[in-house]
Amino acid sequence: GPCRVSMSMAEIRSGFNAIKANIQARDPIRNLSILSYPHSLHKVKSSERCCITHQLFTFYVDKVFKHCRTEDSYINRKISSIANSFLSVRRNLELCHEQNKCVCGQESLGKLKQILVNYEGLNVTSAAMKSLGELDILLDWVEKES
Amino acid sequence: EDVLLPAPQNISILSTNMKHFLTWSPVIVQGETVRYSVEFQGEYEREYANESWIPICECSLIAATECNITEDISATVAYNLRVRANAGARRSDWGTLKGFFNRITTSLTPPLMKVIADGYHLLVELEDMGPAFQFCVLYWKKGQESRVQQKVVKEVNSVVHLDTMEAGLDYCVKAQAKVEAINRSSSFSETQCVRAQGGTPVWL
Repeated sequence: GPCRVSMSMAEIRSGFNAIKANIQARDPIRNLSILSYPHSLHKVKSSERCCITHQLFTFYVDKVFKHCRTEDSYINRKISSIANSFLSVRRNLELCHEQNKCVCGQESLGKLKQILVNYEGLNVTSAAMKSLGELDILLDWVEKES
Repeated sequence: EDVLLPAPQNISILSTNMKHFLTWSPVIVQGETVRYSVEFQGEYEREYANESWIPICECSLIAATECNITEDISATVAYNLRVRANAGARRSDWGTLKGFFNRITTSLTPPLMKVIADGYHLLVELEDMGPAFQFCVLYWKKGQESRVQQKVVKEVNSVVHLDTMEAGLDYCVKAQAKVEAINRSSSFSETQCVRAQGGTPVWL
């Protein structure tokens, strides 16, 4: 979409890579994906990319990160840095939204609804940890598209 | 009677080139070693995680009065920081940084730069300022200041080739550092000029 968000993907990616193995090891449910079931993010029309990016960052900020606290201080610090980066990016996307350059169409609303159904189909901690573990799916999609 | 330790005072941030340090004045207790612990709170923690604080384990019970918080200040949002003194079993209240810290306020210095004339090749060597940095290098033939050329250098891992020089002409170069994450740049470095002369570098 028209909103090019200058965001420090490298920082988010390095923060995630530092904890990816640990987080993904905490996810016992292997045969289900929250972001990719039944359709991958890559099927989304580019005109609706900005809306989905904005909505997904809101999903992670509002629903996911708060349920990912662990017993490991290092993991918690990295989750904090990812969460604060997401907050910063979402603020930029909000500016686009207000300038009406980040319009949501039927497809993105449907896609987001499916993600919430997938998320709410699990208990909240499992759903949050699984979503955090799938961050590379989101990061790959955002980087590929930008 | 157990006197409460005074909270650390003069808590401040030193931030240069995206490296951030929290510093404070020592708490003096006769005959005892005082140690300090540091915690941070990002905007996310304030707004979505019940204003929770996160300890920095590298700065837990340290004797120094300084803590490198660079790794934890990894988003362009407002952070709160606090530090507490410990002596034996006694603890002080938290001393909190006055106001927030946002890395967007870091001070950016021009990059150290070395311009090399290697035969007819105009090269530049740039200081490695860290992963967050890119560089904008400007170069021109002396006397032709209106025809400046620009090269953006995203990674500093080797010498950068700028141009092939004409013999007997002076070439000038200057560079600035840029941090995309905060969308800011440093001022330009001093200009350095060199001349190609059959492969023997000549400094002007």
